[in-house]
Amino acid sequence: MKPDRSVDSRLLSAAGRQLIVFTLISLLGVAVLMFALNWLAGLTSSAAGGSRAAVDVEANTITTYLRDEPPQMNSMIATDAVSGMILNHVMEGLLRYDQFGNLEGAVAERWEQNGSEITFWLREDSLWSDGQPVTAHDFVFAWRNALSPAIGSQYAFILYPVLNAEKVNNGELPLESLGVEAVDDRTFRVTLETPIAYFDRMVAFVTFLPAREDFYNATNGRYGADPHEMLYNGPYMMTSWVHGSSLRLEKNPYYWDDNRGLIEVINFAHMTSDPNTLLNLFKDKQIVMADLGATMLDEAMLQGWQIQSFQEGTVFFIEFNHRDERLTRNLNLRKAFYLAQDSGELVNRVIKLPGYLPGESLFPVWLRGVDDSLRDEFPAPVYERNIELAREYLQRALDELGLEQLPQMTLLTGDTPTSRMQAEYYQEVFKRNLGVDVIIDSQIFRQRLEKMTQGEFDMVMAGWGPDYDDPLTFADLFTSWNLNNRGRYASDALDAQVRIAQSSLDTEERMRAFGEIQRLIYEDVVIIPNYERGYVYVTDPRLRGMVRRVIGAEIDFTYAWIEE
Amino acid sequence: MSDQTTTEHDSTAGARPIRTLRPVDFEPLPASAPSAGMVRPSRSYWQDAWARLKANRRAIASLYIIVFLMLFTFVGPLIWRVDPALQDVDQISQRPFADRSAVLVVPFERWEGISLEQGFGDGDGLRLASQPTTQQVRLLWDAVPEASAYRLYRNHFEPQSALVLGVPIASITRDGVHWYEDRLDLRARLYYYSVVAVDELAQPLGQPQTIVADVRRVITLDEVVARGLTEDPAALQPGDAIELSLHPLGTDYLGRDMLARLMAGARVSLFIGLLAPLMYVAIGVLYGATAGFIGGKVDQVMMRFADFVVALPFLLFMILFQVVFGIGPGESGIVPMLIALVVLSWPATSRLVRGQILQIREEAYVNAARLLGGSHQYLIWRHMIPNTLGVILVTLTFAVPAAIFTEAFLSFIGMGVAPPTASWGSMCNEGLKTMLTHPHELIFPAVMISMTVLAFNLLGDGLRDALDAKMRSSV
Repeated sequence: MKPDRSVDSRLLSAAGRQLIVFTLISLLGVAVLMFALNWLAGLTSSAAGGSRAAVDVEANTITTYLRDEPPQMNSMIATDAVSGMILNHVMEGLLRYDQFGNLEGAVAERWEQNGSEITFWLREDSLWSDGQPVTAHDFVFAWRNALSPAIGSQYAFILYPVLNAEKVNNGELPLESLGVEAVDDRTFRVTLETPIAYFDRMVAFVTFLPAREDFYNATNGRYGADPHEMLYNGPYMMTSWVHGSSLRLEKNPYYWDDNRGLIEVINFAHMTSDPNTLLNLFKDKQIVMADLGATMLDEAMLQGWQIQSFQEGTVFFIEFNHRDERLTRNLNLRKAFYLAQDSGELVNRVIKLPGYLPGESLFPVWLRGVDDSLRDEFPAPVYERNIELAREYLQRALDELGLEQLPQMTLLTGDTPTSRMQAEYYQEVFKRNLGVDVIIDSQIFRQRLEKMTQGEFDMVMAGWGPDYDDPLTFADLFTSWNLNNRGRYASDALDAQVRIAQSSLDTEERMRAFGEIQRLIYEDVVIIPNYERGYVYVTDPRLRGMVRRVIGAEIDFTYAWIEE
Repeated sequence: MSDQTTTEHDSTAGARPIRTLRPVDFEPLPASAPSAGMVRPSRSYWQDAWARLKANRRAIASLYIIVFLMLFTFVGPLIWRVDPALQDVDQISQRPFADRSAVLVVPFERWEGISLEQGFGDGDGLRLASQPTTQQVRLLWDAVPEASAYRLYRNHFEPQSALVLGVPIASITRDGVHWYEDRLDLRARLYYYSVVAVDELAQPLGQPQTIVADVRRVITLDEVVARGLTEDPAALQPGDAIELSLHPLGTDYLGRDMLARLMAGARVSLFIGLLAPLMYVAIGVLYGATAGFIGGKVDQVMMRFADFVVALPFLLFMILFQVVFGIGPGESGIVPMLIALVVLSWPATSRLVRGQILQIREEAYVNAARLLGGSHQYLIWRHMIPNTLGVILVTLTFAVPAAIFTEAFLSFIGMGVAPPTASWGSMCNEGLKTMLTHPHELIFPAVMISMTVLAFNLLGDGLRDALDAKMRSSV
């Protein structure tokens, strides 16, 4: 009954041989298929006319990427950074920031503030991409439209310094009562609610861009949805927009300023934010620039790339929930959390990216004060981790709250890998240093915002980016009336200081107020500052003059040129 | 059942004439009556199966792996007593068996750019102001009067040109400051620091200056005490050598011990991997056996319901279960995952068992037993279950790796365990981010998943061969 071993083994070896042959053939087949597909892909992409090289010197073209698909290009309702960046290339407002970050006239040749009245004189040669001049009426229309309750712009509040803007936005007054006026085609006058010192710096923001009424109405509500549904007055025009995949900008022949728009075509050929993909694309010389993650720095050094870093301007912090029913309303508890952690350790050991600065204050370092940087004039309070003291504060807080032990605290955070990593780091830090259990609530952006608004958190990892170049864009975040104050912090002292900063025309007085706000936020532990975000990126050495900025478009190619 | 007895019987029947039956023939035999002799020792079904399994080397190797895995999961944490959530920030993303010697230093204090350590800071150009350590590297250079800012770079390699200096560490714009204290992710290795002075238009003034810093790993007394690295903290002096905590498999991106996390992850994986199949195979067997045994209309209805369950999309249900169970933020999704697996995976088993039961029900010996008055219970226990047991066991062994894999997959996409709990899947997900620089963070959990799944599959394969009654005594 025993099976014949020799037959068995012969069978086995024959089967083995067959298996090997089959494996080899299939591997070969797959390889051939890959090459064929690659070749075919090459054919189709060149047929589409897209250049695959990062820099095409002859055609004066660059290829790069977008982090995301822009939701739409209607400047009056745009809220996101990607739309803002494209709009900065294809549109131009009254004023703009030059490549060094200084405010300068764009469509407006000059401007003048007289109390609560600002007058802009528009230049003659600023034209729309159909050859018609840009007039004061285009601004009147766009500003009114941005405030119109019908379109419900989320950024309407940025226009609130203008007379009656808030009431117009709430539908209490007609659009016509807004304090803007086209004195003639080339004179645009704005009346403010109260005289403020920083309005001209706000005007460079996206929401203040012009739009022409006749064209806008002709698009039937599709304004900014596609390249031909838009009229351009910036150095570039959008010529193609394949939603979700690519976007192409070409030079606007009607644009007036010869110093901008030196590159003929900017091809945004990829829409992705995956750092590994970007690194590979950059390595293959398919894009002119790429942001790097902490783990890619070794590779970048090995390749000998020119690495640059840049402070992006956003401040990140842990915001406490100050609502009545929350334990975090207790000051000693907040102090305990604050003293138990070290933002320096977070940045230096966990995030590990140069360009990030350990958070020390609500006000980032790049803000300008009277003559120098605000943080040089009003240094942030010196902070040092003190676990002993933190435990003492925790005990005091428990006594005040009448608790034996602190219940689980919820730390609300985003769903990106970095925010999860930071949340896990803090979870362990609070556990180890305070013995407090923290649970992580990781949510997508929209959901996190919703939960922040509803107050469903004890602590939330939040960030705030500047809308205009003035410390007030950060300072008013924790006022009792600001809807973005999700922790519902309320303090009369802080509100009073913000009112001074809003209404005063004296720079020194305003800066003192900001210094005071910085102190109040530190002493009341409204937030735990985490870091100021930075980016590390590489660019093709042939691309020169690319600007990355804190205010306005984060990436600006309008001053860039190609050098061989 | 046995070949020998039938042949013997046949031969006797052929040789002798048929005898006339007498009443005594109908008397029961006494207990001591001689029985037909056994040719070889009787082996039960299980003994036979075990013998055949033992001959299958692959299956036995898999069995050893599984035993090892069980020890790893349940005994491992008793031996390797390291908290899987503990973050060792001094050893972040450390590879296995890395050097862990360090020197004790005084706690960090901010440097104001003035004080110099003995033997450092002399000379001109870019220079070190103190011994470079993993705590800080203090750099000092000569002020350039017309400079509006200094750019400081750090490189792992010697800079080859003035354009490629490495990673920009800092840009110093404050007036009168020509020093910098670098604390960013310092490791015990060589660094090339370069500094360039730039003017207001960000154009470089002159050539960059470069210096090499040989960074030494250090640790402060507080950290030594916090991590329990010494018995007697009072006896330690700055400058003493310390061995950092041991991490045999390295650490992850937050400095957590990989071995401890793998053990903790194994618990989650095996919990799901063993409990879910046990539960759904039990449900499937009951359901399938009932349908197959009763048959007819009931069978039709029950199997159509099973078909309906098969059609339900797993991932969608998984999400729905998480919602329905009110799995709040930061809570583990393991229980809904278990329930979703059980609720949605039983039909495959029930179909298999029903098929078997239908087949067995029509077998001659079952009919015979029924004719002889065997009750339902007797039929089920004596004939149905023993004959389907092989199939059930094989299903079970194949269901285990499938469930482990599902758990890993769901944790990988972030639907499983909540941090800081580890699971192999979530560890893979985290390791993916550092795949290029610290591959061990991905490789170890991936190897664990692959090894477990393969072992269970090979064992299942071996069991199928061993338990197949038709292959009996082929060894």
